[in-house]
Amino acid sequence: MSHAEATAAPDAAEAPTSRTTAAGPEVREASEASEAPTRRRGAFGRLLRSELGLVLGRRRNQLLLALLASVPILLGIVLAIVSDSAYAGQGPGFIDRIGGNGLFLVVTSLFLCTPFLLPLVTSIAAGDAIAGEAGGGTLRYLLTVPVRRGTLLVAKALAAMTFMLVAVALVTAAALLAGGLLFGFDDLTLLSGQTIPLTDGVLRMLGVAGYVAMSLTGLVAVGLFFSTLAEVPVGVMAATVVVAIVSTVLDSLPQLSAIHPFLLTHHWFDFAEFLRFEVSWSLLGQGLALQAAWVAIFGSLAWARFTTADITS
Amino acid sequence: MKNKRLRWAVPAATAVAVGTAFAIPALATASADELPETTPADLLAAVAQAEPTAMSGTAVYTARLGLPELPAEMTGGADPLNLLSGSSTIRVWTDGAERSRVSLLGTTSEYSAVVDGPEAWTYSSAKNAVVHVSLDDAATAQLDAAKADAQARADAVDPASIPTPEALAEQVLAFASMTSEVTLDDNVVVAGRDAYQLEITPLTDDTLVDRIVVAFDGETYVPLSYQAWSSMDTSAPALEVAFTDVSMDAPSDAALAFSTPDGATVEEKVVTGEDLAAATAPAEGTEGDVPVLPEDFDPSTLDPSALTPGAGFLPEGTSISGFGWATVVEQSGVDVAGLLSGDVDADAADLPASPWAGRPAEDLAEEFRGSAADGGFSLDATALYDQLTTPVEGGRLFTSALLSALVTDDGRVFVGSVPTDTLLAAAGLA
Repeated sequence: MSHAEATAAPDAAEAPTSRTTAAGPEVREASEASEAPTRRRGAFGRLLRSELGLVLGRRRNQLLLALLASVPILLGIVLAIVSDSAYAGQGPGFIDRIGGNGLFLVVTSLFLCTPFLLPLVTSIAAGDAIAGEAGGGTLRYLLTVPVRRGTLLVAKALAAMTFMLVAVALVTAAALLAGGLLFGFDDLTLLSGQTIPLTDGVLRMLGVAGYVAMSLTGLVAVGLFFSTLAEVPVGVMAATVVVAIVSTVLDSLPQLSAIHPFLLTHHWFDFAEFLRFEVSWSLLGQGLALQAAWVAIFGSLAWARFTTADITS
Repeated sequence: MKNKRLRWAVPAATAVAVGTAFAIPALATASADELPETTPADLLAAVAQAEPTAMSGTAVYTARLGLPELPAEMTGGADPLNLLSGSSTIRVWTDGAERSRVSLLGTTSEYSAVVDGPEAWTYSSAKNAVVHVSLDDAATAQLDAAKADAQARADAVDPASIPTPEALAEQVLAFASMTSEVTLDDNVVVAGRDAYQLEITPLTDDTLVDRIVVAFDGETYVPLSYQAWSSMDTSAPALEVAFTDVSMDAPSDAALAFSTPDGATVEEKVVTGEDLAAATAPAEGTEGDVPVLPEDFDPSTLDPSALTPGAGFLPEGTSISGFGWATVVEQSGVDVAGLLSGDVDADAADLPASPWAGRPAEDLAEEFRGSAADGGFSLDATALYDQLTTPVEGGRLFTSALLSALVTDDGRVFVGSVPTDTLLAAAGLA
């Protein structure tokens, strides 16, 4: 993997010795020593650019994004084909509305992707962040870069977050495109029966997409923490997806209603607020606060783990 | 090594901080002592005197009646059937006068009811269907006449003879004290507003109702929460509606207006003059003025059995036994199978001329009938009936935390907020 070298290259001159250090504890000492003044302005920016290039540049990740973006397009084409058959209007969410207004393709696509596909993509990016490097044996080389481990973790987290944002943005853009081309846009009829102008409708769809993206930040933090625990990225990705699924299952058990407000996925479908006449900002605020809480707790756990772990691979 | 341990203190501290941040709003609602002291009578008087206020808010409705859950996912979107069991979120807007909107929220659906004076609409987002209820000219004229009549009567009454709200509240309390104990509970905070709590406890043990608790806003006296506790479950109310978020500002015009969405199916229901006359006409023998309590009314001298409405007041086939909370209503000659099978003629024939006959009952029958025509999911009424009731010798029993019903094989229906044994005894099946 050329990644460690690519990242290290700009700073290689400052830390030539640490790359040759083989044993884990020494690497750690070296990186902690580098928390001292060797850092230069722009180091974080370079690190982040390198991480983004890595996450977005990987062929497998691009394939993943392409497949995700095809969901709304396929959905739109299928619906356009069956629009005159007995199957028209059947299905989950707002599927029956799409034929009349392509805007609903956005919310239907996100509705279909929210339970599994988007968490999966998020888990792949977050789970791969640290464990992928460890599994590939490149983590210790990466740590020779003279930045603090905390800074590296932040760069990794931002890269995973960006990948998730790109995924949601792609689904939204593909849905807008397919919906507009196949069905055309119209004024948006809200769930409560009121109709709002098209521009407001588009803004509300963007609100839906934004909220869905923000809802996934907690999962990024969980994945990042798991990623600092293990060296097999596939296991970490699976564990992260499982967290989302278990949370959904727990959320559906009325016996556990006491813990529902704290579950990661509890507010995921509140994006439907954007389709009600009066958007309850307090409800959306609860959802965002919950994600912030998960980010704070699992982000700090990931930091504590990553900055204290002995890295040997 | 010490440094390492210290780092793990950071997530621990974060968890504590987050926990505290989430707990603070909960703690803040724990006490409400700001309200001036009151008595049950004063509170009732204040509630009776309070002007209807414009408001909007979000309420959570929870039913723990012991019925199977029918969440919005199962009914194909938000539907009034969701209210049978489980938690539902409801939003309310009202201008305090003629216009209101109530919305039942599903995850990705909404069921709205809008009332604008004599007109009303319901809109189901899942079915994209509108039901428009309106009055025809004859019915409108009748309603106007009734209003004018009521106004004329009110004008004719000597203002001095009208009891003050305080006196009226005393009378109501005295009346209620025959069956119930009315007390004030500790003040609470509902939706961030200080509220008085009125508790009504039945005196009799022969009812499923343990107590009813209503919280009234300390400022506007709007009811903010309602709880009905069952004697079968003392850990949580069997039925609960409570605002979680309330605003006393007037809602926007757009929130109260209804416009039919493009592409929605519209069903028109016109209430005709005859419908209205049939529904409001008193049964034979009860024409005349509504009885008014005499001034020297003393509830302790009253014979409770005298309060049970006589045969003349009730529609044919209906009779009442028991008293107060333990009242059992009996309706004979009901063909339940016909109702369930959805045969409209059978429905019409079997529902006697009662205030419940006509449109609402037909709507209900239609609701449960579930036609294949509207596509997608529909409830099978017979299956639902079989699931909700249990067979007993001579009929089928419906049991819930607050209400019991017995349908006998010979076509009698007994309903009451009483234990099922009481119903069986009333039907002669026990």
